[in-house]
Amino acid sequence: MHLLVTTGGSAHSTIAVQFSSELAKITASSVTVLTVIKHAHDQARAEEILAAAVSVLQTAVSPPHTKIRIGHPAEEIVREAEEGSCDLIILGEHAEHSLLTRLFGPVSQQVVDHSTRPVLIAKKTAVPIRHLLLCDSGVRTPSLLNRVKNKLPHLLAAADTVTVLHVMSQMSAMPGVPGKQLRATADELIADHTPEGELLERDVHILEQMDVQPQPLVRHGLVVDEIVAEASRGNYDLVVIGAHRHENMPSFLLDDLAQQIIRQIDRAVLIVQ
Amino acid sequence: MDNETVTNNTSTPHQPITLESRLRRTITATWQHISWRKVGLFIISLFLFLLSLTLMKKGAQGLAPLLNGRFAITNPANGIGFGWLFAYIIMSGSPVAAAGLTFFDAGLINQLESFAMITGSRLGASFIVIIIGFIYVLRGRDRATSLSIGLLSLTVSTTIHIGTFIIGIVLLQTNILQSIPTPDGLFVNAIVDLIFEPIAAFLLTFIPLWGLFLVGLGIILVSFNLFDKCLPQMALKESQLGYVSRLVYRPLVMFILGALLTLISMSVSVSLSILVPLSQRGFVRRENVIPYIMGANVTTFIDTLLAAVLLNNQAAVTIVLAQMVGVTLVSLAVMVTIFHRYEHALLAFNSWITSSNRNLAFFMVIIIALPIILLVIKR
Repeated sequence: MHLLVTTGGSAHSTIAVQFSSELAKITASSVTVLTVIKHAHDQARAEEILAAAVSVLQTAVSPPHTKIRIGHPAEEIVREAEEGSCDLIILGEHAEHSLLTRLFGPVSQQVVDHSTRPVLIAKKTAVPIRHLLLCDSGVRTPSLLNRVKNKLPHLLAAADTVTVLHVMSQMSAMPGVPGKQLRATADELIADHTPEGELLERDVHILEQMDVQPQPLVRHGLVVDEIVAEASRGNYDLVVIGAHRHENMPSFLLDDLAQQIIRQIDRAVLIVQ
Repeated sequence: MDNETVTNNTSTPHQPITLESRLRRTITATWQHISWRKVGLFIISLFLFLLSLTLMKKGAQGLAPLLNGRFAITNPANGIGFGWLFAYIIMSGSPVAAAGLTFFDAGLINQLESFAMITGSRLGASFIVIIIGFIYVLRGRDRATSLSIGLLSLTVSTTIHIGTFIIGIVLLQTNILQSIPTPDGLFVNAIVDLIFEPIAAFLLTFIPLWGLFLVGLGIILVSFNLFDKCLPQMALKESQLGYVSRLVYRPLVMFILGALLTLISMSVSVSLSILVPLSQRGFVRRENVIPYIMGANVTTFIDTLLAAVLLNNQAAVTIVLAQMVGVTLVSLAVMVTIFHRYEHALLAFNSWITSSNRNLAFFMVIIIALPIILLVIKR
């Protein structure tokens, strides 16, 4: 696996570098450290930033590659990921955003929006990834779990437990609708062979084949609220979510909840397109 | 034995498809798809709608002693209470809104009171879904499942109409909407008078003037019922929308969808039922339903607007426009500013109501007592 970690030298970037170090250890990955500067005369500062990042990484992996790019941060990160055939982009995120950043979206959001590769946004502290919360909506084919399995198999294999969460935000549309499924647990939905139950059952089967301990879970409520609540409750090391890339009409019609989840969650989030 | 292959030699040589032939084919296909039974039902329902308006308009004058005495509407609060209770009694909002306009047209209530009565009619209209849900609860079904959509419809309507009421008062007092050109109902009115006046005069030989209003009310209920039956079968099927149907829509998109489908169906409950086939199990997404109800609340006034135009009363048209503009402005303001907090608050309130029998009983008492209290408030 080839990781691309981006740093600007700030505290949140350091967390991203530490996170990539932890990840490289368990997945035996190679790492490229990238810093993006706006002007060529910032070169010296960029080299200092890279040297600091390399010192963090050196104990964990074989000497990392370093790269300096000049231009717009999000655009250069996406370009480097494509040109370097990276499997995963890792970046940090500010806890607070300025009004301007909120308006145009932070760099992490722009990278998620434009990259076809998985993006990991590190937050708070870097921890070994043992417990994963995978939020599978079941909307797309292949499923989120299959996409993670195909794109980041080492990450999944290194986990001890994976909780597969499906949020049912549905409510009864009219009086008289049998509402048993609107309160059911994961086990009940699996036993009843409902669409949600079948989704969870498939995911459980895939994880069992990979020797990872699966934990199917269903929560009822608003999608964003329930994912954020479960992430806080369950002490997970990494939350895995899907995201949709749409253009033109679909992008106008469809709301992508990924950005809301990224904003509200207090721990590392992996977004897999 | 030789095998014989039968071939079809009747096919015509390939001819280029011209615009004319394509147009002819489209017209033929459309013609074949027209359900003449539904067209007939539509004409009957329109006839009955016009007749009912004539009867209610005339009969409203006979209700003057009742409205000035026992149910005196002397302020907007009374108007809301009266419209609300009236909608409870006849289990429908649109006929009450039309009645509010005919009362205004007959000079029994003023513009603000008529506006208030129409507001009350919208609040009372959600009651039917709650009552059906309540019957399911009494029969042992789950409270939350049976009542959720009715409660949400009522709470969305109530909260939006609080803001709408304030905007409506401003719009009516400042006469801003008077400058909007409205269709002239004079020609239609002349035809209506020509056809329906003799029927009204004939009925008056049997029944008192106030009775004419009640007959009109009964006929308008029948006409709305028939109109529902002549609607084309509308259903948003999951297979037609693909994965889009299962995703969460943007609030604004759901708002527009709710407004458009209610514009076609002329009924909030009918347009809500259009969403049901999206899930074969009869579920809708929480995220989708609130902006959808908001949008439906705007265009549900379309039949009331038609009634106002047919009454050929510019001030009545202004009342309905004030409702539509008010609901639109308040809904958009909520969606742009506090939508998530609003959504959380409504869902939390609804789950509190259905969390126990005591809470549900308390809520039912409130929604029955509130319009009565509003009706008896005197300045």
